[in-house]
Amino acid sequence: MFKDKPVKVLLAKPGIDGHDRGMFVLARAFRDAGMDVLYAGLLPTPQEVVDTAVNEDVDVIALSLLNGAHLTAFKKVSDLLRKKGIDDIAIVGGGTIPDTDKPKLEKLGISGNYGPGTPLSVIIDHVTKRATESRKKKMGSG
Amino acid sequence: MSDTETLVRGILDGDRISVSRAISVIENDLYSDRALRILEGINPRTGNAHVIGITGPPGVGKSTLIGAMVPRIAVDDRKVAVVAIDASSPFSKGSILGNRIRMQESLTRHGIFMRSLSSRGLSGGLSFSALGTIKILDAAGFDTIILETVGSGQADLDVMLLASTIVVVLAPGLGDEIQAIKAGIMEIAHIFVVNKLDREGAFQAIKDIEDVLATASQGEWKVPVIGVSASNGDGLDDLNSAIGKHAEYQARHRDRRSSVRMELNLIVESEIMKALRNAIEEDSRVTGIIDDVSSGARDPFQGSRMIMGALSQRIAGKK
Ligand SMILES: Nc1nc2c(ncn2[C@@H]2O[C@H](COP(=O)(O)OP(=O)(O)O)[C@@H](O)[C@H]2O)c(=O)[nH]1
Ligand SMILES: [Mg+2]
Repeated sequence: MFKDKPVKVLLAKPGIDGHDRGMFVLARAFRDAGMDVLYAGLLPTPQEVVDTAVNEDVDVIALSLLNGAHLTAFKKVSDLLRKKGIDDIAIVGGGTIPDTDKPKLEKLGISGNYGPGTPLSVIIDHVTKRATESRKKKMGSG
Repeated sequence: MSDTETLVRGILDGDRISVSRAISVIENDLYSDRALRILEGINPRTGNAHVIGITGPPGVGKSTLIGAMVPRIAVDDRKVAVVAIDASSPFSKGSILGNRIRMQESLTRHGIFMRSLSSRGLSGGLSFSALGTIKILDAAGFDTIILETVGSGQADLDVMLLASTIVVVLAPGLGDEIQAIKAGIMEIAHIFVVNKLDREGAFQAIKDIEDVLATASQGEWKVPVIGVSASNGDGLDDLNSAIGKHAEYQARHRDRRSSVRMELNLIVESEIMKALRNAIEEDSRVTGIIDDVSSGARDPFQGSRMIMGALSQRIAGKK
């Protein structure tokens, strides 16, 4: 009855990779898992992704890219968010990310980094886990 | 998370992070003391914004229309914010907050603050959280606040009453123009819009609505019916000037008592819910009553009356 606001997640693909279908599949899976899902639209810049995430106060930004530009694009989003002093919105990544890049993303706090074919349940569990951490921080010293 | 005072100061300074965080407090914990204290803190700086409500059946083009209207409204340094309420899936309780995507381009170009609310987490409290969100934006210095809801149920109609100018949007080909008019929307509309003027049947729809309006008793404000096309821009200037005219009209004729009554109603409801929650969490009398009703020693009606008794004592501060 109280305090039952669902996890809020922003799906964004900050670059061209011509694969919108995957995003819609994810969006529906997240909704069916009880989340509130926002979609950042076509070709959002990292600045737009961060502005949307802040205005909507989401718990998690889920970034995905299949074009190989993840390191620069994901890092930009993460940098802009930190620059605003925000540490209670988590970032998770996905796409075609080589194993060697994963530790670099992890170091930026960008976790998950799942490749195509990862079971939806694995992604949902991970997003839920990161969202719970964000919520805790948000509720923290109030 | 920052404390209540910092948040209040941030809102009054127009800081968007504070605005956004404060809205979350209202959304996450509608009936908390914190939510009420934030709203109380900013209250002296509220009452200046013009709230435009946009409602109508799903798919008529409300979100697209808002995106198309924003450049016309955000002129002369007017600061505009958009609040859009999405219905959530009755099955998973999750939702895809799809309104934003229809106006994103326009939001970015004009630096518009937009917030999506899902009706789900807010069951019952939708009007209060919408009221709180509007107050926060108002106090933060937004001149115009546009509020989108799907005009389907009573809860949506109630939310619309928070707006000072209510625009009801319909479109041809849905076959429900008249239906929508009958469903209680008629009484609250200040402006009717028939969107998708570029589609067949639009002019007939305008005529149908005008016919219905002609038989209704109208007050001093004559409800206009305006044909527009959100996608090609036709009629948008007419709509903008009708909104402007209504804003002037209602500034002169505003029924302050009725809006105050609604506001008090929502705040009192929130205070009661807060007391109820605290009572359920920590009042041993309430746990005792739950035990009694469970064991059949009392019926739920007796139980509820006893809880009301405990509540009124708590509210009166006697514990
Ligand atoms: N032909 C036409 N389509 C429109 C117009 N305005 C919106 N649409 C389309 O109508 C659909 C629903 O629009 P949306 O803004 O999401 O409607 P809402 O559910 O009322 O907010 C979308 O596919 C829009 O592109 C218009 O003026 N003409
Ligand atoms: Mg919409």
